[in-house]
Amino acid sequence: MTSRLAFRILATLVAFAVLARIPAGFDVGFKFDSALAVIWAFGLLSLVLLTGYVGQISLCQATFAGVGAYTAGMMVASLHIDYMLAVGAGVAAAFMLGVLVGLPALRLRGITLAIVTLGIALVFDRYVFQDHAFEWFTGGTGGWRVNGATIFGLQVDSSKHLMGAYLVLLALFCLVALLLVNLHDSGAGRRLRAIRDSELAAATMGVNLTRYKLLAFGMSAAIAGLGGAFYPLVAGSVSPQPFWLFTSLQFTAIAVLMGVRYVPAAALGGVFMAVIPDVLTRFGHGTFMGHAYEISYDWFQLALGALLIAQLILLPDGVWGDIRRRVHHARASMSAVGGRRVKVA
Amino acid sequence: MTMLRVRDMTVRFGGITALDGVSLDLNRGEILGLIGPNGAGKTTLFNCISGVIRPDRGSIFFDGHSLTYAPPHVRAKLGVARTFQNLQLWPSMTVEENLMVPMDALGTRNTFSDALYMPFSLYAERAEMERARAILHVLDLDRYRNALAGDLPAGIQRRVEIARALAMKPKLLLLDEPAAGLDAKETSRLSELLHTVRERFHVSMLLVDHDMSLVMRVCDYVYVLDFGKLLARGQPATIRNDPKVLAAYLGEESQQRSGVQSIPRVRSDERPLLDVQGLAAGYGGLEVIRDVSLAVRAGEVVACIGANGAGKTTTLRAISGMIHARRGRITFANRDVTGLAAERIAQMGLVHIPEGRGLFPSISVEDTLRLVSNTSGQEVDLGPAFDLFPRLRERRHQVVGTLSGGEQQMVALARAILSEPRLVMIDEMSQGLAPTVVRQLFDIIRVFREKGIAVLLVEQFVESALDVADRAYVFEHGTIGLSGEASELRSDRKLVAGSYLGTAADEPSTIGAANGNGHSNGHLDPALMEIVAVRVPARVKRALEERAESEGRPAGALAIELLRQVDGHLDGKANGQ
Repeated sequence: MTSRLAFRILATLVAFAVLARIPAGFDVGFKFDSALAVIWAFGLLSLVLLTGYVGQISLCQATFAGVGAYTAGMMVASLHIDYMLAVGAGVAAAFMLGVLVGLPALRLRGITLAIVTLGIALVFDRYVFQDHAFEWFTGGTGGWRVNGATIFGLQVDSSKHLMGAYLVLLALFCLVALLLVNLHDSGAGRRLRAIRDSELAAATMGVNLTRYKLLAFGMSAAIAGLGGAFYPLVAGSVSPQPFWLFTSLQFTAIAVLMGVRYVPAAALGGVFMAVIPDVLTRFGHGTFMGHAYEISYDWFQLALGALLIAQLILLPDGVWGDIRRRVHHARASMSAVGGRRVKVA
Repeated sequence: MTMLRVRDMTVRFGGITALDGVSLDLNRGEILGLIGPNGAGKTTLFNCISGVIRPDRGSIFFDGHSLTYAPPHVRAKLGVARTFQNLQLWPSMTVEENLMVPMDALGTRNTFSDALYMPFSLYAERAEMERARAILHVLDLDRYRNALAGDLPAGIQRRVEIARALAMKPKLLLLDEPAAGLDAKETSRLSELLHTVRERFHVSMLLVDHDMSLVMRVCDYVYVLDFGKLLARGQPATIRNDPKVLAAYLGEESQQRSGVQSIPRVRSDERPLLDVQGLAAGYGGLEVIRDVSLAVRAGEVVACIGANGAGKTTTLRAISGMIHARRGRITFANRDVTGLAAERIAQMGLVHIPEGRGLFPSISVEDTLRLVSNTSGQEVDLGPAFDLFPRLRERRHQVVGTLSGGEQQMVALARAILSEPRLVMIDEMSQGLAPTVVRQLFDIIRVFREKGIAVLLVEQFVESALDVADRAYVFEHGTIGLSGEASELRSDRKLVAGSYLGTAADEPSTIGAANGNGHSNGHLDPALMEIVAVRVPARVKRALEERAESEGRPAGALAIELLRQVDGHLDGKANGQ
């Protein structure tokens, strides 16, 4: 058991070391994409916990990220506090909203819960992030500008210190991901998974549904909010557009596509979500064999839809689930003993 | 010694009183059986005790705590565990993990220290694993420890459910139809297992099951419910011979013996209209029926009877194509219909009226009947149906959902007859209906026969069913245990009763032997068995047995002597004051 933990820590460190190097050689645009990829990966990770572990449906994860972003932006721009404190405030705000959203989940499940969370996403998108009544929170149409932010007394600027923000984000992501993998096999993780598999049995076997469902919603929202809270630092300002309803739907779609039960799938999905659209807009036009072509961002939506349909038919456990299965098969056929099931994440 | 005290339990669903002032006592160390025919309220009472349903009136006390309104996880903490009829293991977790969830849900574990792999969590984890292994060993489940629970066959999953319940260190184990889907051999193994569990884990049990052979073999004491009221209670042997209980299960012994003999016998040499050979079917991992072979000839009325969960409904579903037959062959009107889609089979003239009638509640009577033209391909004349059921003519514009249960059943029968079928299969026609209505409906079955329509009937009112039927099949443990002419079966009431109330384990000596440490129990006075085995805590009981063995006397006699001493002591005290 402890050797498994050591292996995980090692794997996380290796992943961090490799991922930390990748954006260094590219231009600012790609560095921005990398940082954005981690922010979206946090959103997907929050779904791994909520949907993958606990089996609850949420279509408002981008709202949690948005609340984290706006809270952090407001704290820094109006109170000029340290950015890390602002991140803490953003996470706390997201956690509280998550617990509130979790309340209806105590009674609802399946499609009704999806509709309720969709409604919450819609309300926040239209009537909080874009409404005059909440200008104290959203900073008006221009949003909050956080160019003068400091981290532990050091001046950070989104354009110059993009790489630094990326590293901090990546380190935090690796840490949270490691915690989540550990949680999966621990006693608390078992209780959460028991709720996913059969709520009735979980309740009668002594699992306090109220407590664990609210905790799951709160923690999930906090994870999404943690990523969102870094958005102002990365982008220089906050605007409602990245946290609108469609991002929430994309979170769910991509999480399912990549494998909602697996932590590494969140990283995969984050890259997919941030990098592919940018690649499309950058290199999606030109001439090919004499014909001019133009691939816009809209093609990303189309491709995502097509991929989802293909995945549900071909890889029901998601992309990462399939990779994992293949690795296990290969390992089992190599060792040829293959009695015990090995679980990694 | 009363551990669970249920008082005056009343539950209403809408206008129906499912439970009407039922009281029940369960003593420490006892295995209590709760039985009753369909709709008697057993499941409702069980759900009240396990916390799924809140009663309208009444109270439940467990070990001095009120359970009446306690949420499920509080009940779990107090030591009430349960299993589920429809297998509620956590399928994507291993068997070991399944056992560890209740252990740490009831312990003092912390989510964050778990995620951080703190030393305390690791220690607790290891201790839990040890305990899980010990439990699995006792239940002979060692080799499934790392298998995913969802991959196991249903029989094993049932045992894992019991193991998981034991992982909660319960004082009381509630077993919801543990024998459902098991065959006769597995059921007898289950009864041994339950005795072992009581001996090794010192739990009391409350058992709800339709399988009387299990209840009679395992239970110390039995409560019988009927129509939401307590009908009888007593030891299994008493219950089995109680005429009231027999009547509740089989219906009143009927006086009238009309009709059947006057109908000309169908020729037995012609090929049957419906021929089923070696049919097996089930749901998911559960194989509910196996080796079912039956035949219905043209114009014949055949009844399927047998205890609940014996596989009657599943057989009908497999024949009509609602579920897939796993093995076997079904021939209808000289065509192999195995694996044919349900609507194709219906078009061939085989109509299935399912349990609950399969009507559309928001459509009017007339429109429901007109829908038949869909199947038959032409506009139908509703006249004959209305002639048969004058009541429906009056209510032709009424929405089906607002009709009474009996009227709804009439609509279902009218719909069936309009499609001019060759065979009608009716599942639990009389369920939830008043006796007078039931009598009317059975008269309609006779009309079916006169019109040359064959009928395959699944029925809980055995007597009425045998009255109207030519032949009958008695289902037991997912297969056919008995078959014959209806008149023969009816005259041998005892035989049919056996299939409902269990035939095995009459003798107290069998109970003693099954109890585990048999040698001293073997020559116990049967009347004292209850005292020794049940009313005394297991620890005291064991001491008694040891002493009895060393002194070479029956434990029962020793117990009596001790009780007299206590009595005398109390008397002396009373006199002294």
